[in-house]
Amino acid sequence: MTRFLLSRLFQVVLVLAIMSFVIYGLIGLMPGDPIDLMLTSDPHLTAADVARLRTLKGLDQPLVGRYLAWGAAALQGDFGYSRLYVQPAVSALLPRLANTGLLMGMSFLLAFGIALAAGIAAAKRPGSRLDSLISLLSFSGISVPPFWLGLMLILVFAVTLGWLPAGGIVEVGKGGFLDRLRHLALPVATLTIVEAASQVRFVRAAMIEALRQDYIRTARAKGADEGRVLWGHALRNAMIPIVTVMALSFGGLFSGALVTETIFAYPGMGKLIYDAILGNDFNLALAGLLFATLVTLLANLAADIAYAVIDPRISYA
Amino acid sequence: MALFCALMAGSVAARDSLVIGVSQFPPTFNPNIDTSTAGNYVLGMARRPFTTFDTQWSLVCMLCTEVPSFDNHRAEIIELPEGKKGIRLTFTIRPDARWGDGVPITTKDVLFTYEVGRHPKSGINNAELYRRITGLSAKDDKTFVMEIDKLTFDYAGINDFDVLPEHIEREAFADPEQYHNRSRFDTDPTNPGLYFGPYRITEVVAGSYIVLEPNPTWWGEKPSFPRIVVQTVENTASLEANLLAGSIDMIAGELGPSIEQALAFEARRGKDYTFLYKEGLIFEHIDVNLDHPILKDKRVRQALLYGIDRKAISTQLFGGKQPVADSFVPPLDWVHADDLKTYPYDPDKARAVLDEAGWRDDGSGIRRNAAGERLTLELATTAGNRTRELVEEVLQSQWRKIGVAVRLKNQTARILFGETIRRRNFSMAMFAWSSAPENVPRSTLHSSEIPSAANSYVGQNDTGFRSEEADSLIDRMEIEFDREKRNALWHRLQEIYVEELPSLPLYFRSEAYILPKWLKGVTPTGHQYPSTLWVEHWRAVGRPGS
Amino acid sequence: MTAASRLADRLARPRILASAILLLVLALACFGAPIVAWILGQDASAVDLYARLQGPSLSHPLGTDELGRDQLLRLLQGGQISLLVGLCAAFGAAILGTGIGLLAGYRGGPLDAFLMRLTDGVIALPLLPLLIVLAALDLRKFGVPPALADGDATSLYRIVLIIALLGWTTVARLVRGAALSLKSREFVRAAVALGASERRVMLVHILPNLLSPIIVATTLSVGNVILLESVLSFLGLGIQPPLPSWGNMLSRAEDAINLAPQLALWPGLLIFLTVIACNFLGDGLQDALDPRGAD
Repeated sequence: MTRFLLSRLFQVVLVLAIMSFVIYGLIGLMPGDPIDLMLTSDPHLTAADVARLRTLKGLDQPLVGRYLAWGAAALQGDFGYSRLYVQPAVSALLPRLANTGLLMGMSFLLAFGIALAAGIAAAKRPGSRLDSLISLLSFSGISVPPFWLGLMLILVFAVTLGWLPAGGIVEVGKGGFLDRLRHLALPVATLTIVEAASQVRFVRAAMIEALRQDYIRTARAKGADEGRVLWGHALRNAMIPIVTVMALSFGGLFSGALVTETIFAYPGMGKLIYDAILGNDFNLALAGLLFATLVTLLANLAADIAYAVIDPRISYA
Repeated sequence: MALFCALMAGSVAARDSLVIGVSQFPPTFNPNIDTSTAGNYVLGMARRPFTTFDTQWSLVCMLCTEVPSFDNHRAEIIELPEGKKGIRLTFTIRPDARWGDGVPITTKDVLFTYEVGRHPKSGINNAELYRRITGLSAKDDKTFVMEIDKLTFDYAGINDFDVLPEHIEREAFADPEQYHNRSRFDTDPTNPGLYFGPYRITEVVAGSYIVLEPNPTWWGEKPSFPRIVVQTVENTASLEANLLAGSIDMIAGELGPSIEQALAFEARRGKDYTFLYKEGLIFEHIDVNLDHPILKDKRVRQALLYGIDRKAISTQLFGGKQPVADSFVPPLDWVHADDLKTYPYDPDKARAVLDEAGWRDDGSGIRRNAAGERLTLELATTAGNRTRELVEEVLQSQWRKIGVAVRLKNQTARILFGETIRRRNFSMAMFAWSSAPENVPRSTLHSSEIPSAANSYVGQNDTGFRSEEADSLIDRMEIEFDREKRNALWHRLQEIYVEELPSLPLYFRSEAYILPKWLKGVTPTGHQYPSTLWVEHWRAVGRPGS
Repeated sequence: MTAASRLADRLARPRILASAILLLVLALACFGAPIVAWILGQDASAVDLYARLQGPSLSHPLGTDELGRDQLLRLLQGGQISLLVGLCAAFGAAILGTGIGLLAGYRGGPLDAFLMRLTDGVIALPLLPLLIVLAALDLRKFGVPPALADGDATSLYRIVLIIALLGWTTVARLVRGAALSLKSREFVRAAVALGASERRVMLVHILPNLLSPIIVATTLSVGNVILLESVLSFLGLGIQPPLPSWGNMLSRAEDAINLAPQLALWPGLLIFLTVIACNFLGDGLQDALDPRGAD
């Protein structure tokens, strides 16, 4: 088990290292370099200034050299300065991380609850009307463009009814718990709908598979209470694939959060990365993207571990 | 259910404070590091420049006692080594000016600011200003003398010289290279000693809002709101929703919705708010590359301008709030000439001019010249700017009608400004110049400012406009102190512009202020200095519930 | 009943039929836009500033957009682009994925291990942020000639390419698994024993047996690609105006949402219908083509 963990951890580090180089290289291929930007904002810079700044910023060095220098600093926690936020990239990132964590956490839990309830209800009687309805809703949920869903929610609840704020995170001078919730309502709803719709299909499939097993028949034949059969025996068995899929869906949740945050002007990581890329904030974009990759990799690792822990049949020799 | 009801309850801002909605959060509060519109807007309440343009577009003193002039002997011409002329200016800081912590503002602060500004590694933005100031010395605690290496008619303004508190910032400047990271404006933005305006910043929630409260050391009229909150809502559509919900009181025009959005909002809720539209100095135009084989023919440029219905664009898309531009000088500027040649929409004339220029319609709908080349051009603008993308498609459709095919080639602002325009790799590019009142167009129209590989692409005359007469007019107007004579030079320059059309003028942009009916005293300026520089005059009159 | 007629029977299930018909009608309408334009007597690109944001009328069945153009025609034109992107990118991803999966599954060994780690790595990436980076890259820095890098349809090629480059993983895993099990089947071994070249075995003996899972996966991914395209275009990084796509039409409609909500309604609805039809079709095909799903 320890060897398995270590080897998986090593893989995570390796993928992260490769990704950091790839992303570093890609960002360098984005239009404009930092000097171009300075020239745009200050047209009075002279040719000598340009050359001096280029050397100062190390832009005359080859890519690998710059990457290694950046990597060495990053390992010590120095991800450079954010151009847009005029503070260290990490300090710009951290408060956003908390916001995104809240948004994703709430949506994830809600979606998981809904998916579990609906998936089990559907799996109980496959082919029933309820099953068809749930399937239709789930298909609708995975087929709706998330930003359009967000727009429609804004149109109905913020613009027409005026019940909920259309964006932002807190109102001035309030910032209390209720206020936070009011601002979270629409983004969380958007993300939850999309997320629950895709999860429900996995839960249903896993439950149907579990209910087909012999021991379920045995339990039923013995006259066990149907609720116990469902929630006890079957669910426990179905949990393995469900947990795996949930953990794997984390990366997707991140993409969903990016869209949701942009629509609702919610100051989270996703929007930060988007703004950083569009705003040519190289350091911030790099730090944000790497962080997103790390979170996704860790979620996958968690899936592997959960799989190993729950399912004793898997061996790790 | 109780929770649900509580969530649904609308919220209303506190009754005595003023909540201003803006679309951007300032990246820094240090006035010298990043001069963003959002930063200027907030700092307008908390600090004041030495000089600025007032709402009537004349130069006034804010932190100083008197605008220098030759008459009051605060300005005198000096001879510079190479036979050039410079100017020496004497400013006196208001005797009652004190930082928010009670420390008087003195020449020590001014000298410190100069030291920071001059330092090559301090990372400040407007290095040019400090480069031009060749000497600065203190006469006493309140009076200082400044020497500038260039003599121009607008010598008296030092609008962008933003004084820094030496007693606070000195420590942060210990390592100049790290100054932009360590400035107290960012590490300790609520420090009262950083501000001296009618308000000072008392709370900052990064990315969300900024709270300002009255500053006890303020010397002028007592501000009337006990609290002003500047709330950032990045999505302009939700700015509106927040306004309707009552969680913000007003939307700042400097950082507000586009004119189309404001008009749409006015159409629906016009009676509940005051809508102020202020046309300004932002000049939307299409720069034309004068070295382009087709566009270097003046007649083609003129035909292109005759071929677009700018009036329809102005009235239909912008509700008439953004006037058609006849030249690069806005109508509000006193040097604007009203008797210039204009180019009203006249597709027949456009076709005739193109015929004359050798571009004939061969029946395919697109004109060709004698060599058989098609009249196809490219128009670039900033991708993602909805207004420009719309206008672009209108132009494309209208030019099609006079037999000109235009390909749209949009690029992100970074590429467009950072590379395409600077390196002059374009045929036509639509964007805006923003300028100060009576801003001499040296950087955009003087032939010495054409960016090229030889000068590392410095300069903004990206059309490649070369005219000896224009060069000489620009050179002369900069040093012409007589208003009447200068006006004549301006007039001639505008005549040349409308005849040669190095760029196709479109319209002047407006800002839309959406204010509550009870708020009085807000005066949009129309130039780049924000309305908050007069925030102490803002009053609530007949505010419901107060 | 013969196998063929059973298959035909399954394919005739209402869900599959309805989805297929819906997609067909949408595609016909979109690519028949010139005919619709002729019937209405409208030109989709003709701007009329004096007829902005009009409601439905006889000449403009869905009203006009913010520049007075016919909304129905714009939707159909946008549909051409959206469907084209969906089909091309899904197809590209399928080809790439099949190639990688076949190689990995058939060759096995270190190549398989490497390719599968690569697949895992790509799956583990945060897709959308990465797509945004790729969509923002400056093609000229790759040495693409400027004329091509700034061409009219560059945004179209670019988006097809990057989605295909990141979207091949599902097919690759599927194909690898199937190839792995087919490899040890009698008929494949027989072919190898008879001296068939490796390429021949892969293309002639294995690939045809993988077609049905590949078709299912591709159908499902067409829907996903259309969704992704709309998201990217909405964020301003996908299809660039003046080329219309459902995604960038929505992006513009967002600005006018208070004034003309119908502009935001239609493109969104069409994306939704197209994607759900693809998903139903893919799901239905899976049931129909998978012998285990016959219950």
